[in-house]
Amino acid sequence: MTAPVTTTGASAAPRTSAGPSPAPRPRRRVQHPGAIIAFVAPFGLLYLLFYVVPIGYAIYQSLLVVEREGTFGEATEVFGGLTQYALVFQNEPFWTSVGRVLAFGVVQVPIMLGLALLFALLLDSPLLRGKKFFRLAFFVPYAVPGVIAAIMWGFLFSPNLSPFQELTRNVDFLGADLVLWSIANVVTWVFVGYNMLIIYSSLLAIPAEIYEAAVLDGAGQGRIAWSIKIPLVRPALILTAIFSIIGTLQLLAEPQVFRSFSSAVTSTYTPNMTIYATSSIPNVNLAAAFSVVLALATFILSFTFLRITRKKAEA
Amino acid sequence: MRHTKRAVAAALLTTVAIAMVGCSAGGGGSDAAYCEPADGDVNLTFTSWIPGIEDAVAIWNADNPDIQVEVQTGPSGNAGTYQNFFNQLEAGNAPDLGQIEYDALPNFRVQDGLENLAACEDIVAAEDQFLPWTWSQASLGTDDELYGVPQDQGPMGLFYRSDLFEQNGIPVPTTWDEYKAAAEQIRALGGYITNFSQTDINQFAGFVWQAGGQWFQNDGDEWTVDLTSEESTKVAEYWQDLIANDLVSTYPAWTDEWNNAYNSGEVWTWNSAVWGANSILSGAPDTAGNWSVALAPQWEAGGETAGNWGGSSVAVFKGTEHLYEAAKFALWLNTSEEALTSLNQTAQIYPATTAGLELPVLKEGVDFYGGQKIYDVFAEAATQVSPDFTWGPTMTQTYADVSDGFKAAASGDGTLVDALTKGQASTISTLEAQSIPVAE
Repeated sequence: MTAPVTTTGASAAPRTSAGPSPAPRPRRRVQHPGAIIAFVAPFGLLYLLFYVVPIGYAIYQSLLVVEREGTFGEATEVFGGLTQYALVFQNEPFWTSVGRVLAFGVVQVPIMLGLALLFALLLDSPLLRGKKFFRLAFFVPYAVPGVIAAIMWGFLFSPNLSPFQELTRNVDFLGADLVLWSIANVVTWVFVGYNMLIIYSSLLAIPAEIYEAAVLDGAGQGRIAWSIKIPLVRPALILTAIFSIIGTLQLLAEPQVFRSFSSAVTSTYTPNMTIYATSSIPNVNLAAAFSVVLALATFILSFTFLRITRKKAEA
Repeated sequence: MRHTKRAVAAALLTTVAIAMVGCSAGGGGSDAAYCEPADGDVNLTFTSWIPGIEDAVAIWNADNPDIQVEVQTGPSGNAGTYQNFFNQLEAGNAPDLGQIEYDALPNFRVQDGLENLAACEDIVAAEDQFLPWTWSQASLGTDDELYGVPQDQGPMGLFYRSDLFEQNGIPVPTTWDEYKAAAEQIRALGGYITNFSQTDINQFAGFVWQAGGQWFQNDGDEWTVDLTSEESTKVAEYWQDLIANDLVSTYPAWTDEWNNAYNSGEVWTWNSAVWGANSILSGAPDTAGNWSVALAPQWEAGGETAGNWGGSSVAVFKGTEHLYEAAKFALWLNTSEEALTSLNQTAQIYPATTAGLELPVLKEGVDFYGGQKIYDVFAEAATQVSPDFTWGPTMTQTYADVSDGFKAAASGDGTLVDALTKGQASTISTLEAQSIPVAE
């Protein structure tokens, strides 16, 4: 369900930086229509088969209800309108989990992106030595699969198996109060390097003349970072923020792994876990309705964020 | 622009419709009147998670060139294989045979995923080879239906550290009252009598089973959900008391922490099923020779009741074209001495047949248990399991919801009884969401 949202976010973000769009070009006749079709068709077909059709099927499934007679009666699926959606909106654990990941996102995303920006600026600064080493070092956690990272941190947080028992025996990182932030720690650890790299590549694209001009005007490195670099990597920051918002709403692997370390992570801890649990019942119709609602929520949130940041940019 | 949009929408709908036709076509399947041998050679697929089951199947394949079975292995049922089965059934490409635990059979039955094996005469004729309660688990309490051939069983007993009990002069408990008294003595020595698992709700169901309780009843017209029955509440209050007084540990089960607690001697007993013998052996290797097995503690002094934890059957999925051959293989796998011996050697499977309990390998002493003939204890327990325990049609969900509540209770938020009350409500709403009739 993520892909359409992601592509929209990705293509929309750079647009904000383009400033006033250039005047529309005069219409030209399309040349080589056959070649265009040949190049687009493989993508179009796969996109249709693996995104559009499954999404359409999920929406269709979410509109059905099951009817049966007797305790083991055969089930027949009939059109039920928005019945499943009514159940979604009555489902308390689901909305609790949505609130939980939103709280998670409000705290974790700014911290993670702040760190990513800081690291990117450091890598870009002429003051730092050993750039290649640090660039790789910061990025390596992203190469660790999310599940493995979660298992590793699970052991580090565990009161009895951690190498830092002095700390973990006294602070219950896996208890109901802290476990969400322990998961935030894992997610941050994994994704800081990834976001850093996006911001860093955006920094590398800034023309050197701008720096020369700034130096001539007497700006120091701090001033350059604050007044030139950060405003110019704004589009990259917005892009990473949208990816992170989407990722937050779709949290699954880390909390799922933490279930074997912490008794505070329930089977409906995040929206995706609720969907997974519902599909295991199996109640595919309700699970489909949950998925559609979550996708819409992600969509709305991403676009609201984009709208707000764009307005600010224009103001 | 308008037109293209409309054309795209039309193309989309067509594709979706085609996809849906493809999906619903696999569903069908006629009634059970076709348990007859096929002409020519037959190839069957069988999905299971029993380690080394390939060996038993290889014996079959060597003896039956005209009925060849291909095994696929996966994770254990609730860890993913059941979900695969449900998806395969939905897509119309389920294997011919599958491993299904007794507690999951009603779930597959309610999703209309199983063939009724009572259509096959040979299977019906084999009923008296099985322990009555295992047969009743697979017939879902009916007289003329059968949805899996019982494979193994999990009668429960008490695994205990005989060395520690002896050294400290604590008598091995025979009732749950004595068990609590022993728990207090052991706690005073710095250990725990046992670990209360917040995730093994089927273990807890085994306790309720032993206490004579029921969680579900099925009268044909509607389900009754009774997670908060008198017996169930009694068991929950008993364990809640032990948790609240810090007399049991609450490590998450089946983790390294949990193994460590047993391996280091911190935890002294485990109320588990016969297959647990192997779990201790692999999880607590340093304690070899120090364990023994006794019959489970009783609610009434002198009582003779046992619970059951686990046990599975081999079921035939709807949509198979070879019910006769599939049933024949399932019966052989779970009754023949060669297959049962092989399954016991590779996976310590404890058979569901009366003859299987007499296998030579189950008559020997086990070194890890100080040479005790532990299977004699479980053979006795197997005869004490009540045949009436009924599983509900959405156990995966019930387990998950009760487990969420048990986890909260173990960390001091609410009680086990609260968890059962919540599980009761969520189970009822899950049933209602799928139009499964349920008595309020």
